[in-house]
Amino acid sequence: MTAAAIFPALPLFLPELLLAGGALALLLIGAFAGPRSTAFVNGMTLLLLIVAGALVAMQPEGRTIAFNGAFVVDGFGRFMKVLALIGAAGALMLSFDDFRQRRLSAFEYPVLVLLSVTGMMVMISAGDLIALYIGLELQSLAIYVICAFDRDSTRSTEAGLKYFVLGALSSGMLLYGASLIYGFTGTVSFAGIAAAVTGAPHSGVIFGLAFLAAGLAFKMSAVPFHMWTPDVYEGAPTPVTAFLASAPKVAAVAITVRVLVGAFPGITGQWQQIIVFVSFASMALGAFAAIGQHNIKRLMAYSSIGHMGFALVGLAAGTEQGVYGVLLYMAIYVAMTLGVFACIVSMRRNGQPVEAISDLAGLSKQHPAMAYLFALLMFSLAGIPPLAGFFAKFYVFAAAIQAKLTLLAVFGILTSVVGAFYYLRIVKVMFFDEPKEALDPMPGAAKLVLALSSIVTVGYFVAPALLNVVAVAAAKTLF
Amino acid sequence: MPDAKLPLTLMLFLPFASSAATALMPAGARNLVAWLAGLTALAVFGLGLWAAPEIYAGTVLRAQYAWLPEYGLNFSIRLDGFAWAFAMIVSGIGALVVLYARYYMSPDDSAPRFFAFLLGFMGAMLGVVISGNLIQLVFFWELTSLFSFLLIAYWHHKDAARDGARMALTVTAAGGLSLFAGMLIIGHIVGSYELDVVLSSGRTIVDHAMYPAALALVAFGALTKSAQFPFHFWLPRAMTAPTPVSAYLHSATMVKAGVFLLARMWPVMAASDYWFWVFTPVGAATLLIGAFLAMFQQDLKGLLAYSTISHLGLIVLLLGLGSPLAAVAAIFHMINHATFKASLFMAAGIIDHEAGTRDIRQLGGLYRAMPITATLAMAAAAAMAGVPLLNGFLSKEMFFAETIESHVDSAFDHTLPYLATLAGMFSVAYSLRLIDQVFFGPEATDLPRKPHDPAIWMLAPAALLALMCLLVGVLPTWTISGFLSAAVFGVLGALTPEYSLAVWHGLTPALLMSVVALGGGTLTYLGLKDYLSGAVEGPPLLRRLSGKRLFERAIAMLSWRWARVLEELLGTNRLQSQLRALVVIMVLAGCWPLLAGAGFSPAAALASVGVWLGNTWLSPRWLTSSAPMVGMFDPALLLVWAVGVACAVGAAWQAKYHRLVALILMGGSGLATSITFVWYSAPDLALTQLLVEIVTVVLILLGLRWMPRRDELIPDDQLTSARLRRLRDLFIAIAAGCGVAALAFAVLTSEQTATIGDEMIRRAHPEGGGHNVVNVILVDFRGFDTLGEITVLGAVAITVFALLRRFRPARDSFAAPDQKRFQTEYDSTRYAPGKDPINAHYMLVQGVIIRLLFPVICAMAAFLFMRGHDLPGGGFIGGLTFAIAFILQYIAGGARWVEDRLVVLPVRWIGAGILLAAATGLGALLFGRPFLTTAFRYVELPLFGKTPMASALSFDLGVFALVFGATVLMLIAIAHQSIRVYRTMEKASVREKAAARSRGDV
Repeated sequence: MTAAAIFPALPLFLPELLLAGGALALLLIGAFAGPRSTAFVNGMTLLLLIVAGALVAMQPEGRTIAFNGAFVVDGFGRFMKVLALIGAAGALMLSFDDFRQRRLSAFEYPVLVLLSVTGMMVMISAGDLIALYIGLELQSLAIYVICAFDRDSTRSTEAGLKYFVLGALSSGMLLYGASLIYGFTGTVSFAGIAAAVTGAPHSGVIFGLAFLAAGLAFKMSAVPFHMWTPDVYEGAPTPVTAFLASAPKVAAVAITVRVLVGAFPGITGQWQQIIVFVSFASMALGAFAAIGQHNIKRLMAYSSIGHMGFALVGLAAGTEQGVYGVLLYMAIYVAMTLGVFACIVSMRRNGQPVEAISDLAGLSKQHPAMAYLFALLMFSLAGIPPLAGFFAKFYVFAAAIQAKLTLLAVFGILTSVVGAFYYLRIVKVMFFDEPKEALDPMPGAAKLVLALSSIVTVGYFVAPALLNVVAVAAAKTLF
Repeated sequence: MPDAKLPLTLMLFLPFASSAATALMPAGARNLVAWLAGLTALAVFGLGLWAAPEIYAGTVLRAQYAWLPEYGLNFSIRLDGFAWAFAMIVSGIGALVVLYARYYMSPDDSAPRFFAFLLGFMGAMLGVVISGNLIQLVFFWELTSLFSFLLIAYWHHKDAARDGARMALTVTAAGGLSLFAGMLIIGHIVGSYELDVVLSSGRTIVDHAMYPAALALVAFGALTKSAQFPFHFWLPRAMTAPTPVSAYLHSATMVKAGVFLLARMWPVMAASDYWFWVFTPVGAATLLIGAFLAMFQQDLKGLLAYSTISHLGLIVLLLGLGSPLAAVAAIFHMINHATFKASLFMAAGIIDHEAGTRDIRQLGGLYRAMPITATLAMAAAAAMAGVPLLNGFLSKEMFFAETIESHVDSAFDHTLPYLATLAGMFSVAYSLRLIDQVFFGPEATDLPRKPHDPAIWMLAPAALLALMCLLVGVLPTWTISGFLSAAVFGVLGALTPEYSLAVWHGLTPALLMSVVALGGGTLTYLGLKDYLSGAVEGPPLLRRLSGKRLFERAIAMLSWRWARVLEELLGTNRLQSQLRALVVIMVLAGCWPLLAGAGFSPAAALASVGVWLGNTWLSPRWLTSSAPMVGMFDPALLLVWAVGVACAVGAAWQAKYHRLVALILMGGSGLATSITFVWYSAPDLALTQLLVEIVTVVLILLGLRWMPRRDELIPDDQLTSARLRRLRDLFIAIAAGCGVAALAFAVLTSEQTATIGDEMIRRAHPEGGGHNVVNVILVDFRGFDTLGEITVLGAVAITVFALLRRFRPARDSFAAPDQKRFQTEYDSTRYAPGKDPINAHYMLVQGVIIRLLFPVICAMAAFLFMRGHDLPGGGFIGGLTFAIAFILQYIAGGARWVEDRLVVLPVRWIGAGILLAAATGLGALLFGRPFLTTAFRYVELPLFGKTPMASALSFDLGVFALVFGATVLMLIAIAHQSIRVYRTMEKASVREKAAARSRGDV
C-alpha cells in the first residue's frame, strides 16, 4: 500500500486516530507528571471522547471504504460508534468520584478506556477479519486490565484474571474460526466472503462461522458464553462494570451484525439458527438466574445477558427491520444501563461502597429523587410503557414476528414477564422496605449521568422520531 | 365531521397535564388539588358531551399524530360509540370519585400525591379506551397497571397495602406484556396496528393459522386485568387501597379494561369455537366462584370485591357466547355494574369512615344512625341482586335469556341456565346479607366510633349513582337507550341486533329464573345466617383454594427454588469449571454444523462425518498429488511425530505435579515440530523454532523455581472423584483436540487458490536481492511490520522486567529445594562446616565447558546473522543465538558471577536496535525513496569473501540487537530473583525476630 492510498483514508480514520494519538499523549503526560495529572487526564479523555463523537457524527453520509476495504465507514458504524463513545464517556464520568473515594484514582484508567474505545471503533468499522481481530483484541486487552484495576482487592484481580483467561480462549476460537473461513474462501474481506459463500457452502465454512460466532458471543456475554459475566461484573470496581455493561456490548453487537449480515448474507438460514438459539438461551437465563441474586451488580450481569438476548431477537430476524430494531435496542439499552449504574455507583454508606440489593431499602425516604428515577429505569428495563425499554422490545419483537419467528418473540415476551418480577423486587425494596442507615448523597457527575439517562428513558416516547430517523438511515447502509 | 383533533387531544392529555401540575403542588393545598382534579374530570366529561351528537349519529371521530411512521404507527385517537361510552363513565365517575375522595382522605394524607396518581390513572384509562391503534392501547394498558400499583400502595406504611400492590402489578403487568405479544401477532396477521384496519378485517384473524396463539395471549391479558378465575386473587388483595380508589379502579374502570378489550376485539375475533371455549367456561367459573366466595366475606370491601369478580365473570361469559345479543347484554351490564358498584363502594367507604370498621360481624343496626347512607346502599345492593325496577335487573334478565339460547351445542351449553340461576341465587344472598347484617339487626355497641351520616358532599356522589340505578331501572328507554345504542353500535356496527329495554317482557323463562334466584337467594341467606355470624373466616368449601397461596407458591418456586437450581446447574465461580464449560460448548458447537447438515439426527451426522473424512483423506487429489504429500507417509517422520505427540501428552499428564518434567517434555514436542519444518524444507523456520524452544524452556525453567508449591496429596476419600473428574476432562480434551486437528487437516488439504507465498518467492531475489525469502519478507517486503514487531518485543521485555522488579517470591519457595537440602546435610557430615562444597563444585564441569563455548556461540551468532540474506539465518536468529550464549553463562555461573565479569546493558541494546532499524528506514528518504526502501549489492570483504550487502542488513542488525537485548533483559529479570530472595528472607527473619521480641516484652 502506498502513501497515496493511505492519506485519502485519513479523514475517515480521524476519530480513531485522534483517540489513539490522544491516548499515547495522555499516557506520556501521566507518566511524566505523575499522580497529580490524574484530574487533567480524566478531563482530557472525556473531551477526546466527545470530540471523537462529534467527528464521527460529522463524517459523510453513506458508505465509504478505506484501507483496501479493511475499514468501512457507514451509517451503521457511525451510529454504533457514537453509542459506544457515549457509553464510554458516561462510564468514565461515573469513575471520577468513585475512584477518588476508593483511592484508586490513576491516570492509567482513562488512558486504558481510551485505548479500549479505539479498539471498539476499529472493530465496529472492520471490513475484514483482520481488522475485526485487531480491534477486538485492543478493546479486550485494555478491559482485562481495568477489570483488575483495584489491585488490592482479591475479587477485582480475580475478575481480571478470569476474564483474561476465558477471553483468551474465546479469542482463540474466534481466530480459529476466522482461519477456517479464510482457508475455505481464500479471502478475509467481508465482501469477498459474501461473494464466495452462497448456496450450499463447504461445511468448513459453517464450522468457521460457528467458531467465529462463539468468539463474538463471548464478547457480548450471550449464553452459552456468558459464564464470566456475573463474576467479572461483581468483582470489577463498579465504574468499570458500568463501562463493561455499556460500550463493549455495543461494539460486540455491532460487529456481530456486520459480520453476519455483511459477510454471510448468502447463508442467512444457517446463522439464523445460531442466533435464534443464543437469543433463546440468553433471554431464558437472564430472566431466571437473575431472580436469586442478592448482589445488585450480579443481578445487572444477568440482566445484561437477558438484554443481549433481546437485542439478538432483532438480528435473528435477519432483515433490515431487524437490524433497525437492534440499533434502537442498543441505543436505549446504553441509556438505561448508564442510568442504572449511576445509581449503583452512588450506593455508598459512610464512604464505603455497598452492593447488596437490601442496601437500597428505604431509599425512597432518604433520596427520593434517586429512588424515583432508579425505579423508572427498572420499569424501563422490564419493558413497561411508556418508558423507552418498552419501545426497544417492541422494535425487535415486531421485526421477529415479521420474519415469522413468532415463537421467539412470544418466548421473549414471556421471559420479560419473569424479568419484570425481579426488577419490581428492587422497586419494592427501595420504596417499601424498612430503611437502613442512609446512603451517602449522590456525587455530581453521577447525578448528571442519571439525569441524562432518565430524560432519554422517560422522554423517548414523546418524540421517538428524533432517534428513529437516524437508525433507519443507519440500518439501510447495511443492506 | 367537525375538526375533532384538538378536543380529542385535550381529552387525553388534560388528565396527564393536571396530574403533573398536581404533583408539583405543596402538600397542604388539599382544596386546590381537589378542585383541579374535579374540574379536569368535568372538562373531559364536557368534551364528551360536546362529541355526543356526532357519536349518536354514528360517526367515528379521529385524531392522528405521526409517532413511529416507519412502523406505520401513528399516535391516533379514535372515538367511536363504545369508546365514547367508556370515556363518559371514566370521566363521570372520575368526577364523582374526586368529590368523594376530597372528604374521604384524612388531612394527614398527602393530597397532591393522591390526586396526581388518580389523574394519571384517569388519563391512562382514557388512553386505553380511545386509543386508535393496538400498540398504543397496550402502552396505556400497562400505564393503568402502573398507576393502579401506585394507588393501591398509597398507604405504603401498611404491609398489606404493599403486598397487595405488588401482587396486582405483577399479575396485571404480566398480563399486559402477554397482551403486547398478542397484539404484535394480530398486527402481523392484519398487516397494520391501526384499529380501523383491524376492525374492518372481517374473518382474516379468525382464519389465520396464528389465531389460537393470538387468542391465548390476548385472553391472558384480558383475564388477568379483569380478575377472572384463576387470576382473580389480586383483586381482593387490592382492597387495601383507599376506598375512593376501589370505587374508581376496582369497580368502574381498570378491571373493566379486560372486558372492554374483549368487546373491542369481539367483531373480529369471536367468530370461532375457540373463543367460546376459552371465555364461556372461564366466565362461568368466575361467576359462580366469585358469587360463592362473596357470601362468606366478613370484610365489607372483600364482599364487594368478590362480587365484582363475579359480575365481571358474567360479562366475560356473555362475550364468550359469541352472539350479538349477548354482546349487547354484556355492554349493558358493564355500564350498570359500574354505576351500582361504585355507589356501593362509596357507601362502604362511608361506613368504614364513620363507624371505624368494615367487619360485617361487628356492624349492625346502622339504619338508625345513618339512614341516608343506608337507603342509598340498599338501592345499590338491590340493583346488584337484580331486583326489578333497578338497572341490574334489566341486564340480568338479558343475561338469563341469553344463557337459555343454544350457542355451541354441548352439555356445557345446556347447563348454563342452571349455573346462571345458581349464581343469581348467590348474588341475591350476599346482597341481602350486606343489607341485613349492616343496617338492620341488633345495633352494634362496640364500634370504634359513633356512626352518623357524613357530610352532604360525601354522600352526593353515592346518591347520584344510586339515583341513576333507579332511573335506568324504571325508565330505561328514556334514560339509557341512546347511550347504550351508541355504545353497542360502536362495537357491532352493522351486526347490531334488535333488542328491547322494556322492564316487562311478559312471562318469559328469564323472568322465571329471576324469581327462582330471588327466592332461592333469600332462602340461602336465611339458612347461612348463623354460620356467617360465627367466627369462621371464609367459606366452608374452597377455603383451601386460595389463589393468593398458589400465587405465592408459584412465585417462591420461580424465584428461589428454580433460580437456585438453575444457578447450581449453570452458575459456577470456579475458573476451571468455566473453562471446562467453554470447551465443552465449543465441541458441541463444532458438532452443530454436522448435525444441522444432517437434519439433526446423530446417526446421519456420524455418517456425514465419515463421508467428509473419507472425501478429504481419500480424495483422488490426495492420492495423486505430488511431492509434498508423499513425505507425509515417511515412517521416519511418523516416528518423530509419535515421539512429539507422546511428549505433548506426557507434558499435559505431568503438568500439575511435576512441572519440570512437563516442561522438558514440552521442549521435546517443540523439537519434533522443528524437525518437521526441516523435513518440509523450511530450514529457516526450523532454526527459529529450535532457538525459540531453547530460550523459552530455559526462561520458564528459571521461573519455575519461584512458583508456589503444590500439595500432591489428595485425601483418600476424594481420590475416586478426582480420578473421575480427570477422566472426564481427558475425554473432553480428546474430543476437542481431535476436532481441532481434523478441522486443521481439512483446511490444510483443501484446494488452495494462488497464495501470496508464490508471489513472494517470485519477487524475493529480483526485488529484495536475497535468496532467503523469509528474511527478505521480514526485513524488506514487510519491513514496516517488522519494525512494529520489534518495538513491541522491546516493550514486552521492559514490561516483564518492570513487573519482576517488584516481584517477591512466595513464602513457601524461600527454602532451598529438597534435593539441595539433602545434599547439604550429607555434605555437612563429610566436610568441615562453613565450606559450601555444592555451590563451589556442582557445576564445575559444565561451567568450564560453557565458558569455553561462549566465544564459539558468539561467532556462530555473527555467522548466522551475516548469511541471513541468502541462507537460513538473519537478525532474529542471530540475536537469539547470541542471547543463548549469555543465558548459558548465567546458568553455569550464577547471576553474581556473570555480572562481576561482564557488563550487559540490555536496555541499551534494545534502544540501539530500534534506533538503528528506524534510522535505516529513514535513510531511504535521503535518497528520495519511500520509508524503508532497500538497496543491495554484493561486496568483496577481506575476510568473508563475497558478501551480500543490502541496506536491509543494517535494518537486520537492529533486529539482532533488539532481540538480543529483549531476551537478555527478561533473563536478568528472572535471574535476579535468586539474589533478591536472600534479601527478602533476611527482611522476613528480621521482622519475625522483632515480632518475637515484642511478644516477649509483653
